[in-house]
Amino acid sequence: MSEDLAGSELPEMDLARRWYIPYEMELMRRGAILVILICIPMFWVASLRGDGWQSIAMGLAGGLLAVWALQQKNRDLMLASSALILLSGLMQAFFALEVKVAAIDVWYSTITVALGGGGLWVLSSPHMSRWLSSKLELEEAELGLARNHKLSPRWKAATTHAILLHFVIIVLVPVIWIIDVAFSPGQSASGDLGLSDWTITHFDAVLSGSDFWTWGLNSVIVSVGTTMVGLMLAIPAGYAFSRYKFSGHGIMMFSLLLVQMFPGIIILVPYFMVMKTLGLLNTSLGLILAYSVTALPFCVWMLKGWFDTIPRELEEAAALDGCTTFSTFWRIIIPLSLPAIAVTALFSFLAAWNEFLLALVFNTDSSMYTLPVGLASYISEASARWGDFAAMSLIVSLPVVLLFIIFQKSLIQGLSSGSVKG
Amino acid sequence: MKHIFWIILAVFLLPLVSAQSLDVQSDSSAAGFKRVRVSVEIDSFSGNGSLEFHVSEAFHSSVIIIQGQAGEMSQPLVGEWYDDCWTSTDLGLNWTEIHRSENGQAHAFYSTPQTLSIRCDLTGISQSKEDNLSVRLFDESRELGRINTSIIASTADILPPPPDSSPVIFAIGSIALTIIALFGYLRWKDRKSMNRHGLAFVLPAFLALVLLSFYPVAYGMALSFTDAHEESIGDEEFNGLENYLDVFTSGGFLRVLFFTLVWTFTNVVFHVGIGGALAMLLQQKVRGKLAYRTLLLLPWAIPSYISVLVWKGMFHPEGLVNVLLGTETDFFSGVTQAQTMVILVNIWLGVPFMMMSISGALQSIPEDLHEAAKVEGVSDWARLRHITIPLLKPTVVPLALMGFIWTFNMFNVIFLLTNGGPQLWFGEPGGTDILITYVYDVAFVKGELGLAAAWSVVIFIMLMAFSWAYTKGSKATEAVV
Repeated sequence: MSEDLAGSELPEMDLARRWYIPYEMELMRRGAILVILICIPMFWVASLRGDGWQSIAMGLAGGLLAVWALQQKNRDLMLASSALILLSGLMQAFFALEVKVAAIDVWYSTITVALGGGGLWVLSSPHMSRWLSSKLELEEAELGLARNHKLSPRWKAATTHAILLHFVIIVLVPVIWIIDVAFSPGQSASGDLGLSDWTITHFDAVLSGSDFWTWGLNSVIVSVGTTMVGLMLAIPAGYAFSRYKFSGHGIMMFSLLLVQMFPGIIILVPYFMVMKTLGLLNTSLGLILAYSVTALPFCVWMLKGWFDTIPRELEEAAALDGCTTFSTFWRIIIPLSLPAIAVTALFSFLAAWNEFLLALVFNTDSSMYTLPVGLASYISEASARWGDFAAMSLIVSLPVVLLFIIFQKSLIQGLSSGSVKG
Repeated sequence: MKHIFWIILAVFLLPLVSAQSLDVQSDSSAAGFKRVRVSVEIDSFSGNGSLEFHVSEAFHSSVIIIQGQAGEMSQPLVGEWYDDCWTSTDLGLNWTEIHRSENGQAHAFYSTPQTLSIRCDLTGISQSKEDNLSVRLFDESRELGRINTSIIASTADILPPPPDSSPVIFAIGSIALTIIALFGYLRWKDRKSMNRHGLAFVLPAFLALVLLSFYPVAYGMALSFTDAHEESIGDEEFNGLENYLDVFTSGGFLRVLFFTLVWTFTNVVFHVGIGGALAMLLQQKVRGKLAYRTLLLLPWAIPSYISVLVWKGMFHPEGLVNVLLGTETDFFSGVTQAQTMVILVNIWLGVPFMMMSISGALQSIPEDLHEAAKVEGVSDWARLRHITIPLLKPTVVPLALMGFIWTFNMFNVIFLLTNGGPQLWFGEPGGTDILITYVYDVAFVKGELGLAAAWSVVIFIMLMAFSWAYTKGSKATEAVV
């Protein structure tokens, strides 16, 4: 940087100028990077449309030129690049008006016009023009630094919000779409984005038909069964791993980890063979057995972590009072562990509730489908019933999402502690 | 003949276009496993064209009809493809197998304008469920004719005798007894210590683990050396390394492997990158942090199969994405495009998990490190580079490995979005197939369980090797840094 400044362009370059750079420069740098970034998806869109890339190329050129100009601290180039960006936004808007206005054009034009215009405006501000054109007094630089210090957090927050808002929109678009389709008449995937003729026929159809109740019952049986079996196996095991150093302790812990490492696929084919041979295909029991054992290592880890935090003195006191090992476990440890058990239960319930692959392979009879497989069967190549699908998805996922959000803290804690150790 | 238990019927003929006529029949004899036999007769066909079979569940086959001789084309073996097709120019008396070009595209040849018969066994049809079959004939420029019929592949009529369950029960029983005996021995060994109580607590879980995880894995490895087939469970015969040879010589092996690696690496990089960036943004003092965090968590909270199907609807030609982008594209028609789309959807799905995990790690970085650096006048960027990233490394390194394994095994996204397509025909992996979705096809569409078991073992070994190298590598870099 110092070399640039010592260069011949601004011979009267002084210490103050080297020391103080107006905040506008930083803003313009961010703007330039932003323009370059938003050009990438726009080029993709233009290639899909097969047209309209000229204005975006102009925007990209503007962005690149701006980066160069900021490096050179060249006012004319900065002006030119801002104008280029502004023009690109206007051109895109005209192009879209001519063909078909889409959300992405509005987005691009708004941002580029705002940034290009903002660039021009910032360049004409007294701070910038003074800094760019003439010798700076030391005092002025000091004032400027103070101003930077004041402006910086404000703009930092604005940038953060802008980025986060974009991600939030990307997350929310599918949610909005599914609500739209669920309440729109007809079964098409388009929805209609209007509020005029919304209807609850899809919810009616789903709730009065038998599919939802059959599949829902299957899912409930499988998930509750998995939770019960899984907990009955995992609670004592987690406790023992936490408290006792019996022979084979290490190797058994390791085998738990190993199972967690197994890719599901290696188990899939032999599971299918075993289940078929034992006549457990198209039953809930087959799925319960499979699920409770896949979730087992994780549940054991989570519970072991919790039991480790319970002081041993409690058990010692109980033993002194004449409790047997089992009654200590049953009367003291279990009641103390209810929160951890609840989280583990929720985890295995959710895992079973959302599992797709094994359910798809094991239960091929449509009366034995669980909700995931049943829902997916609504969407086939030939006849996709998007309306009914959307309504049922909303009904199915709403409780799950609520549970997840309410218990997010403990779930995530458990998940990440388990995963990092595992 | 236990190989033949599929009966298919019901054909509706539709009026046809112009001089050519297209006649579709289904054949109830000799239809194999979960398959439907379709015969198509084309009258006085001139010029080149193509014939497509669509089944309502998935795209099936396309055959290119060319005037001329087979020449350089290879003659596939029966059973090598998903769909077996034959051609005949003498009113269906002598059938010859259809030829295939290097990329798997099927070619039927005819020499003079005359009646051409094409017969295909379309496989992988769901059993006991009515499907729609549409057969479409094109010449070079337009559709000449189309016939829609409904088909049913039914297994209900003749079921194979139930497989003998005694070997499995015997195996399970003997394993269980061995484990119990082992625990008895361990208890005897620990008899003088309080620790012996632990064994009884662990026994049920360990028993379940061995019986339902280790035994199936061992069984799967054994299966990979047999010719197990869904049609003939209980009849497996040892066939040595044949399955493994098949895996490594199969046409699509390198292609699927390559796309699997691209899929996995791209996803993990973006998951960690975007997740980490968002976690750092949320680490700052932002207004509405809780709202942002909760909203950004949604892709994780919504069941993944639902999100994937929702994205499928949004990428539909008349779906929301086309509306928002002002385009009219079928996003899943081209291979590269479909690959990009499945990766984008999976990125959307996986970011929140990484965001939350990295967020947890960020909170454990002591605040005073940053404070001290700020006092020293260290820039934001340098603080990120020299404080945050090194301190995040112990968390992110295992997280990334786990993300790698998960993404490698991510079945739902590709199965539900594209089912491996486009270009899903003739026993080869489709354009977006990754290893695991392809194994599913081999096992449960083609029914070749032995071969699928071999694929699974290969995948397992690859994952193990990668995990080992990764752990080793990351430890080495840790030692250096």
